[in-house]
Amino acid sequence: MAAPDSYDSLAGLAVKDDRLRAVLEGRAHLVFDGAMGTMLQARGLEAGELPELLNLQHPDEVTAIHRAYVEAGSEVVTTNTFGANARKLGDAAGVDEVFAAAVACARASGARYVAADIGPTGALLEPLGTLPFEEAYALFREQAVAAERHGADLILVETMADLLEAKAAVLAAREATSLPVFATMTFGEDGRTFLGTTPEIAAVVLSSLGAHAVGINCSLGPDALAPLVERMAPFARCPLMVQANAGLPQIVDGRTVFGITPQDYAAAVARMVEAGVAIVGGCCGTNPDYIRLLAQLVDGREPSPCALRDACTVASAQNLVALDRDRDDVAVIGERINPTGKKRLKEALRAGDFDYLVGEAVSQHEAGADILDVNVGLPELDEPAVLSEAVRRISAITPLPLQVDSSDPAAVEAAVRCYAGKPLINSVNGKRESLDAVLPVAKKYGCAVVGLTLDEDGIPSTAEGRFRIAERIVEEAARYGIPRCDVAIDCLVMAASTNQKETREILRAVTMVKERLGCKTVLGVSNVSFGLPQRELVNATFLAAAFGAGLDMPILNPLSRRYMDTVAAYRVLNAQDEGAAGFIDEYADRSDPYKAGPAAPGAASPAVSAGADAAGSAARSQAAEADVDATPEGRARHAILTGRKADVPAITEELLRDRAPLEVVNGVFIPALDEVGAKFESGAFFLPQLMASAEAVKAGFDVVKQAVSAGAEEGAAVAGKGAIALATVKGDIHDIGKNIVKMLLENYGYEVVDLGRDVEPQAVVDAVLQRGIKLVGLSALMTTTVRGMEETIALLREQAPGTTVFVGGAVLNPEYAEMVGADFYAKDAAESARLAGEFFAHGA
Amino acid sequence: MALSCHVDRAEALRYLGYRGQELTGDLAGRIDDVIARVEGDLRPDGLFAVFPVRTAGEGGAREGAASRDAAVPRVELEGASVVLEGSSIAEHLRGAREVALMAVTLGARSEQELRRLSALEPLDAVLYDAACSSLVEAAADALEDQVVSAALERGLVTNFRFSPGYGDLPLAAQPAIVRALRADVRLGLTVLPTNLLLPTKSVTAVIGLFDAVPPQAGQASPCAACQLRATCEMRKRGVVCHGRTR
Repeated sequence: MAAPDSYDSLAGLAVKDDRLRAVLEGRAHLVFDGAMGTMLQARGLEAGELPELLNLQHPDEVTAIHRAYVEAGSEVVTTNTFGANARKLGDAAGVDEVFAAAVACARASGARYVAADIGPTGALLEPLGTLPFEEAYALFREQAVAAERHGADLILVETMADLLEAKAAVLAAREATSLPVFATMTFGEDGRTFLGTTPEIAAVVLSSLGAHAVGINCSLGPDALAPLVERMAPFARCPLMVQANAGLPQIVDGRTVFGITPQDYAAAVARMVEAGVAIVGGCCGTNPDYIRLLAQLVDGREPSPCALRDACTVASAQNLVALDRDRDDVAVIGERINPTGKKRLKEALRAGDFDYLVGEAVSQHEAGADILDVNVGLPELDEPAVLSEAVRRISAITPLPLQVDSSDPAAVEAAVRCYAGKPLINSVNGKRESLDAVLPVAKKYGCAVVGLTLDEDGIPSTAEGRFRIAERIVEEAARYGIPRCDVAIDCLVMAASTNQKETREILRAVTMVKERLGCKTVLGVSNVSFGLPQRELVNATFLAAAFGAGLDMPILNPLSRRYMDTVAAYRVLNAQDEGAAGFIDEYADRSDPYKAGPAAPGAASPAVSAGADAAGSAARSQAAEADVDATPEGRARHAILTGRKADVPAITEELLRDRAPLEVVNGVFIPALDEVGAKFESGAFFLPQLMASAEAVKAGFDVVKQAVSAGAEEGAAVAGKGAIALATVKGDIHDIGKNIVKMLLENYGYEVVDLGRDVEPQAVVDAVLQRGIKLVGLSALMTTTVRGMEETIALLREQAPGTTVFVGGAVLNPEYAEMVGADFYAKDAAESARLAGEFFAHGA
Repeated sequence: MALSCHVDRAEALRYLGYRGQELTGDLAGRIDDVIARVEGDLRPDGLFAVFPVRTAGEGGAREGAASRDAAVPRVELEGASVVLEGSSIAEHLRGAREVALMAVTLGARSEQELRRLSALEPLDAVLYDAACSSLVEAAADALEDQVVSAALERGLVTNFRFSPGYGDLPLAAQPAIVRALRADVRLGLTVLPTNLLLPTKSVTAVIGLFDAVPPQAGQASPCAACQLRATCEMRKRGVVCHGRTR
């Protein structure tokens, strides 16, 4: 294989000529064309028509537009294929024939290069939308294959607003063709795409993924794009490209027009060229007059150099963590989504309860984590499937970048492939087998990777031994084209109780890796205290020492107050927290836990680690109100009726002192909920009050469940009132009603299997059969989607006879419910709970 | 274009089924917090375009080519491949010289936040949803105002906005409207196979532009033309599925 420094990013690529090679290597400018749609509309294309059909119907007109651009100085013309995917074309034409005609039209213009245009699918991808990643990928792949087959010289992925969709397109083009791939996204005035991606993130993720040029198109005028491009520049590992609109669209006489002149446009582009943009062209509203000036602008020039930031970067679609080599900033990796030693997480993973994982993710985010580790390694699970689903679910809810953690390279690949961002892979190590399996995945998907300092001979006991392995990992990564800033080294913490002398060696190794290799470092901090008492104290001390030695990314439990105190204090010392503003804001009014205050005596160790609700204060606030039955039952009822969830845990603990858990649920919670339901029914309460009461009960339930799992006997009785599957049917995405029903049923103690929204009929049937569920609730909001309800019920009748179905939703009524074949109609959540109660009472 | 508008607290409460109940606990505070967040987080955006109505002769030629049931009234537009079907929209646009197509959305951020809250805080999700419903109607009102003033400048008058799903104008009109406005690229709007809009807090609508006050303008509300009028659950709760509730 090639030596470290000679990795050729263009190897295997079909680069048409030396001029294009010079462009790809950042040594030459390249001039694209301007708008196609604007030109077609000027020639009478109707708004909303498929412009791609003109390649087949009026090829001469399309070629004439291309030719006008070539005559104005465009070296590249872009095929008229923006929406030429199977989803948008539908039955109107085939993707392959459209590309064949479009490339021929472009070629006939005499352009030096033909770029095959690939725009968005027009559908929103999961999880926000309903289009699965692999379906988007398949649409793009079909386009890319057609483009190459018919002779395009490069592929332009453009006007992307969804980073994941852009990733699907770039991956499809890279995997299915050997053409260079340029990728541009579109940003709003707030500097983000519709889905919240910043220019920095777009540059990091798409250039790491192997796009040969990245940039911005459409969106705004060139003046407004300039600052966004400048933000992109330090993070793009490839040439920068800009195709701005001719100003912001304005409506004049009911028509959309674009404001700025070719001269002003060119002047604004000139500033971007100074800032390092190498590839220029136009978008909406531009025409050959604009392009002519751009061609003159870059004629005889070489691209201005851009300073690439030497930083370790990890990104979700919304958040970027960038740790510069010449700064000492630290980022916390939350460790809690890892089943090792966590009973509740193991149960959740086995039950497919991803909501629990999401909850863990959110609480770590709130506690101050910057990156979240995700590990689902249980031997009985299909790890590739579960890990990618976990990554998908977590990244739908939290904006933090993820560390994909698995020893199975297939699971890592499955998860990073459909991740909307640049994840950190945990991990590769010095073993040949690991290097050969993990590094290609990291390179292909543009990930950062953690390198563990162990190899076939185990973990060296000395700093020098660990350093040598780190060095080898960095060299191997370079051979794949993974820069050292994308490799973070984990020098592997050993327990001080068993390997006491090694602790200093670990810290020394961290310093060596930082100083000599220039890599960022990672450590799993809590390992150091195995076998010792007061582990948090030992860990926090080690954490401070490791920061001093050069640790950048500790993997720890961010819910530990003590660790995050150390992090916050250190961020003052390393100047990450500028002016200590964050620290002062957070700590100025906080009392020192080591100085005994009035509350000190009973609160030995846990007081430091958690903000436990003081039972006393809840009781006091309750007692302060008049007309409240002061018994625990009375206070519980009052708290539930008024929806005061903060008060409920303490009261529940009090109740549990002399009552069995089941008695608390059936004797206190359920009667109060019934009372709330009756008030809702009569109109005395409205929906948010019903839900606030359900929230309050949930807070109590959580305490009861803990008590039960501690006692263990009654578990089945409390948790097992019966299982109910809920789904918003195929075609419908309005699930707010279903979620309300879910909340209430859970708080009545039913096990709710929430199948989500836009659920295939077969998925409902499968869940029912697999889990032996007897009662199913379906919701649909629109008249058009009630059809999905009908289909689901029909399939249930056929494959799972004996299932009882209740339905609800805005347009439904009893007659409609009967028409679609349901057994019951529930007009609201309270009615659903009543139905469930009757159903399971008779069933039992 | 960005639209300046606010959540109408009373309207959001009506969406929640509020009929003067005492707001217990900290509910009032939570509602206000959510409204503040909705207004702070979201930037309603919208756009419109105006097209002449195709005259009967030209329309007839097109109808011949189409395989649709000729008995269904339809309105076609010049310069946009949009066909609006149904007797309600034909009546709404009877005598119109031009038609404005419009789209507004609260953006993907609203959808992301609704997803997040649905998973974590169901009550906040319901409050957020109601606040968003009020805000998107306010955004549609604000854009409608722009259509009205743009029409007035040209000496034309307008009637109220009419959305797919009202009366017998099918939701199936949605994709063509979104395409004609390029609202997919310009607003991030997408249409599901079932013709629902994503982000869900989005509205498309059609407004007639007339030379003089149209005869049907006295008909104050789209509810009058709605076929679901008799069974509508929303009307029972004192809310409507279209704008201009104030």
